[in-house]
Amino acid sequence: MYIPRSILVLLLIVYLLFLLSVDWINQVDGAWYRPFILGFLVIAVAAWSHREQDSDEF
Amino acid sequence: MNFELTTIIALGSGYLGLLFGIAFITERGWISVKIVRHPIVYVLSLGVFASVWAYYTSVGNALRDGYGYLASSIGISLAFLLSPLLLRPILQLTRTYQLSSLADLIAFRYRSPWAGTMTTLVILFAVTPLIALQIRAVSDTASILSPEAAQGSLATGFCVVITLFSILFGTSRKAGRTQYDGLVMAIAFESLVKLIAFLVVGAFAIYGGFGGFDGLERWLQGQPELIDSLKNTDYFSSFHVMALLFFTAAVAMPHMFYVTFNENNGQRALSFASWGLPLYFLLLSLPILPILWAGLLSGSSVQVEYFPVIIGAAYQTPSISLLAYLGGLSAASGLIIVITLALSNMCLNHLILPLTQPKANQDIYRWLLWKRRILITAIIWAGFLFHYLPSEQISIQVIGIVAFTACLQFVPGIISILYWREANKKGFISGLAMGVCIWFLFLMLPLFTEADPLSLVSINWREITAFSLISNCLVFVAVSILSSSTDEERSSADICTLDTIKRRKRSGLVAKSPPDFIRSLSKPLGDKTANREVSRALLDLNLGEEDRRPYAMQQLRGKLEANLSGLLGPSIAREIIDGYLPYSIVSEHGSSDLNVIENRIEAYRSNLSGMAADLDNLRRYHRQILLDLPLGVCSLSTDNEVIMWNRSLEEFTQINSADVVGSQLIDLPEPWLTLFTNFVDDDANHSYKYAFELNGHKKTVNLHKALIEQTNDPHSSHEGFIVLLEDITETEILEAGLTHSERLASIGRLAAGVAHEIGNPITGIACLAQTIRDEYDSDELLNLATQIIEQTDRTSKILQSLVNFAHAGTDKSQYENEVVILSESIAQAETLISLDMKSKELDLYIDCDPNARILGDSQRLLQVLLNLINNARDATQANGKVSLQAKIKGEIVEIAVTDEGIGIPDAIKDRIFDPFFTTKEAGEGTGLGLSLVFSIVEDLGGDIDIISPVNEDIGGTRVILRFPCYHSDSETGSDTQSPDINAL
Repeated sequence: MYIPRSILVLLLIVYLLFLLSVDWINQVDGAWYRPFILGFLVIAVAAWSHREQDSDEF
Repeated sequence: MNFELTTIIALGSGYLGLLFGIAFITERGWISVKIVRHPIVYVLSLGVFASVWAYYTSVGNALRDGYGYLASSIGISLAFLLSPLLLRPILQLTRTYQLSSLADLIAFRYRSPWAGTMTTLVILFAVTPLIALQIRAVSDTASILSPEAAQGSLATGFCVVITLFSILFGTSRKAGRTQYDGLVMAIAFESLVKLIAFLVVGAFAIYGGFGGFDGLERWLQGQPELIDSLKNTDYFSSFHVMALLFFTAAVAMPHMFYVTFNENNGQRALSFASWGLPLYFLLLSLPILPILWAGLLSGSSVQVEYFPVIIGAAYQTPSISLLAYLGGLSAASGLIIVITLALSNMCLNHLILPLTQPKANQDIYRWLLWKRRILITAIIWAGFLFHYLPSEQISIQVIGIVAFTACLQFVPGIISILYWREANKKGFISGLAMGVCIWFLFLMLPLFTEADPLSLVSINWREITAFSLISNCLVFVAVSILSSSTDEERSSADICTLDTIKRRKRSGLVAKSPPDFIRSLSKPLGDKTANREVSRALLDLNLGEEDRRPYAMQQLRGKLEANLSGLLGPSIAREIIDGYLPYSIVSEHGSSDLNVIENRIEAYRSNLSGMAADLDNLRRYHRQILLDLPLGVCSLSTDNEVIMWNRSLEEFTQINSADVVGSQLIDLPEPWLTLFTNFVDDDANHSYKYAFELNGHKKTVNLHKALIEQTNDPHSSHEGFIVLLEDITETEILEAGLTHSERLASIGRLAAGVAHEIGNPITGIACLAQTIRDEYDSDELLNLATQIIEQTDRTSKILQSLVNFAHAGTDKSQYENEVVILSESIAQAETLISLDMKSKELDLYIDCDPNARILGDSQRLLQVLLNLINNARDATQANGKVSLQAKIKGEIVEIAVTDEGIGIPDAIKDRIFDPFFTTKEAGEGTGLGLSLVFSIVEDLGGDIDIISPVNEDIGGTRVILRFPCYHSDSETGSDTQSPDINAL
């Protein structure tokens, strides 16, 4: 099965972010919008990882 | 909160009218294609997935599950973030084989109409609650805004309007296999309205409800139980299941499948959507918590899910409520329109067409159009009826979960399409049946039996969902392993499964040409439809009606199946194609369809990595060697089908590779047909100097052939032939020229010998004449003797010229380096030319500077002059004028020979000095004259230039020779020669 390297990087980052962020999000005095900051980060990485596939038309 | 009912109805109808207007002007082309096909529009059209669930239900979910409400957005986002693993390969399949729904895809992969039918039925059951959910949300919110209105009437009115709009949207065109830009623009617009409305309501909740972010923070500090429930998300239970449900929905839900794959504009759009859609859902999730908290602060008694529509009125801004209602209406109507269109196609292809099909003499397109309209109506009103059935106590969240859980049952089947070759239809149908039974018994049925399905027999919906999915997977895997797959299933698995590039066997078709295709398809489709479909497929493939190549006919068959699949569904399309366009040979040992393999590898090449990529590079390298080989290479299969036709062969034969690859040898035009057929049929592996006529020119080739050894098939000794064709026409001409030259040299030597032998008696005659002249006084004898002496002198000069000419160029060491007086050489040339009978018709004008001298070999210069004058004479008409001028121009002596012929065409100017190149008729010229001139002039340190035409009106050619001028003692005081002409 072929998995583009950029997708592997994305998966790794998402997984690491998930592990690191659960406690950070659930801190009692943490801002309610913290999950959305993480969401924007993941989307930025995704935009980068899908950038190089633009030339791969079929 | 009490809005006029007419305001609500006018707002809803006006908005739907606006959507239809956008679709209309898009279809008319009034909106630029750049905008319509922009990836942002594609992303927004995918926003159709954000239905009432994302708009209303998420608010309730946020109260119950805290951050768990984000699970649905995360699920659908993951499907797009990881699009290369699932969406991209499916997109490739759907585009290649014109598969417009999940049922089409499953019927195609598992080669079973029953699998398609079952998929359609399950999706129909699953989606009906979802449609009901939209109807209920619209009627509920309308009744909140206008409490005096009857909820039933509102739902009925909404269904009537949405039915009309769906029919107008979805059936305005006859065939549903091309992209519908109008629908895409309308749906993108409604997604934008939905997003803007929700963001505005969210901002209003913060500033209108709490007075800003600081107020919100202060309020939250006083609500510790809210913060606690928000952050107490159970990530490892319902969160994951919910995310999985929505991940699957990206492919399994008919409206998502339709927009993601059918309305896609290419890989770039999908790449854009891979992060664009997650961003859309993230933005849509952002206002949910502020809306929830503002609703709680207002103390409204309305169901939590409908907080978006009440907070405007609760904080004295009714227009915000209307905007929120518009956003909800947008979400509901967009989903219903797309889902009914997609589902109507599925029902038509997998429920209606297998039972009844239009007759051949009917207008098939009109028949399909009306069936689709009826189905759209039936689906919407089934949703309407369903919304009455569940108890009022059951929330819209429960109805949504029931719908999404049914679609989850397709997970094993979808993943196996791409990643498990051994999966088969028996396994798929068994697993799906098992999963759906559990879903129906434990989730669907309780909706109508007043029991709360979420707490049924002490297990919750999450456990039921997991139980149904696990049972489905186990049965699917077990049955697939224990039962055997058909050949068709295996073939289909090869096409769908990633990383599988199987050796396909070549097969012949009974239909040999496009007219045969039309005749065959006229039986099931009728003449008109068959003609139209075959013409369309030919156009798609860029093939002509006269094409007969087997490979092209196989491509045509595949394209027809794909196109008919888009029209009638894959099951019916395959049934028609298999029945009416059958293969004549099922398979042949050792005859792989190399063209198909080649095309597949080409399509897949960007995905190859590691050793596979290395092997592909190696394959390309070897192929490139064959393609660029300066020999014609043609490989043939065992049944004489042309597999390869390289570039040299393209140039030599003037037949393009694309036109001949896939053809039979007998389809080649003459003279190639005879040439190749004779050689292939012959036992000899080599054929030398095979001569034939091509466009009026004689061509000569050497042919070689070899068997292509079969290495891994014991049933066949070889895989065909490779034929090499070597064009030796130029070599043949060269050899003929050399032979001719050798013959001329022999004649020259003979002439020299004859001249020498004749010279002795001539000398004797001259001596006798001188004796008579000296010893006899008779005037008559004196006169005769003088004439004899003159004639013998003349004869001696001629003989000397012949000897000189014959000896010229034989040995460079013998060349003289003497002072050549050009006037003498020119006079000598004139004498020799005058001996030729033809020269009598020539008017040779000579203008020579008597002081013109050069350093060199007079005999070789004579040869140059003779050749140039002869050429000029041949080019000039009878009694034409040829001028020969020799002038001193500074340090240069310039000799110009000018004729009044037609001139030299531009096309051959570069070749006139080539050895054996001649424009004269065969036998009249050797093609060596100018070549020899060029060589001698170079040896003499000069250069040569040709001006043609001399005059644009009368033509003519002028050959100009330039040599370094020689200055004698009398002129300069010493012997000097100008520097080499090439150095000047």
